[in-house]
Amino acid sequence: MLKKRLIFTLLYKNGSFLLSRNFRLQRVGDIQWLFKNYHFETISDAIDELIVLNLDDDETKIPGFLNTLEEMVGHCMIPVAAGGQIRSVEMASALLAHGADKLVVNTACFEQPELVEELVSRYGSQCMVASIDWTGPDNLKVFSHSAAQEQGLLHDHLKRLEGLNVGEIYLNAIHRDGTGQGYDFDALNAVPNDWKVPIIMAGGAGHSSHLSQALEHPLIDAAATANLFNFVGKGLASARRELLQCEAPLAKFDD
Amino acid sequence: MKITLIDYGMGNHLSVRNALSRLGYNSSVSQDPIVIKNSDFIILPGVGSFRRAMENLNGLGLSEAIIQAATENGIPMLGICLGMQLLGSESTEDGTSEGLHLIDNKISKLDSSSGIRIPHVGFNNVYWKTANALTDELNQNSDFYFTHSYAMTDSDKSADYIYCDYGAPFVAGFRKHNIFGVQFHPEKSQRTGLKLLKNFLEIKRA
Repeated sequence: MLKKRLIFTLLYKNGSFLLSRNFRLQRVGDIQWLFKNYHFETISDAIDELIVLNLDDDETKIPGFLNTLEEMVGHCMIPVAAGGQIRSVEMASALLAHGADKLVVNTACFEQPELVEELVSRYGSQCMVASIDWTGPDNLKVFSHSAAQEQGLLHDHLKRLEGLNVGEIYLNAIHRDGTGQGYDFDALNAVPNDWKVPIIMAGGAGHSSHLSQALEHPLIDAAATANLFNFVGKGLASARRELLQCEAPLAKFDD
Repeated sequence: MKITLIDYGMGNHLSVRNALSRLGYNSSVSQDPIVIKNSDFIILPGVGSFRRAMENLNGLGLSEAIIQAATENGIPMLGICLGMQLLGSESTEDGTSEGLHLIDNKISKLDSSSGIRIPHVGFNNVYWKTANALTDELNQNSDFYFTHSYAMTDSDKSADYIYCDYGAPFVAGFRKHNIFGVQFHPEKSQRTGLKLLKNFLEIKRA
């Protein structure tokens, strides 16, 4: 049986990892802080995948991000999806060369759909994760440019992404982002019929029970958290243990 | 011991090399046919579309080197993910294109008629009817990490297979003489994955 996944999302800008709350950013610590406080060498026992997003639009900071990515990949043996600021094939290829297994695109899906198509054709659907920032409560809308620019209805955007053949959808609720109040499952009402693309739920997880609600949902394939404080220390490992005790459909790793 | 990862511009070598160094093995990355043919072990990784990968391999003159290394020189070879598919005869990804024909199996899209989601992403358990060198000391139904939309058939009867079920059973791995392939990513599959890589590197050359 295919297991569901627990994903840890890291937000990065200019040498620091950040906590985001409704897209307002707070610096938390650098990579050494992360390695130490998250016992990074053993993080692959707790989570199935890592997502790393560079929020810095300053292009001179890209080499610093690539080095950080490579250092992280060297410290954990799990799949890493990287993104933020992917506007060219060169940028995508640099991320893969520095150890990313998948690419995360968001704004490019609105502004450069031809780039997304090119990346799908070059690297395959399984390499492409489309991140969506959405909010409600009525007429669920999607936003680009770090939730700054409205881009129409969530349902229409999902259809568009299906047409672009992306491999996975990362569904992030702007109004729950960093709040720890739990996921907003309303977004799933906008999922078109006969939907085939794996969905990662994001935005709002503060407790293992939130993760478990997502993992039990038939439309959801993975649960993500980007909260640097709620699962600090061995928090991710204990969340996974609790989830497995409640028979969540996660992989059990050998000792 | 010379472990060579073949570089054809489409693989994520870093993760495989990191996994090998955790096991205490040095490896190098090369696109030089002479280096490849003088290796003790060859790993063919790969992320991307089959057609582009074959165009790159042919364009770099590597297809012939890989075939010679595997058949005439008998060097143990492991294809990972797309790397395994390239060892097959042909794929329908992005138009039909020919593979390296080291195993006589075709590659096509996973059948989604049962309602499964594609790509197949995440940990899934694998099993085998006939054990092979790769499965040594591994438990049946161990979880490995997959991320793919295409899979290989098992029509070549001269190989031993590892299977996985997703909608229907598909080939998760094979052994044909000194040639091995895994559809999953052992370098992303925890200690079980490391054990499998170790098994491969302990194979004695015939």
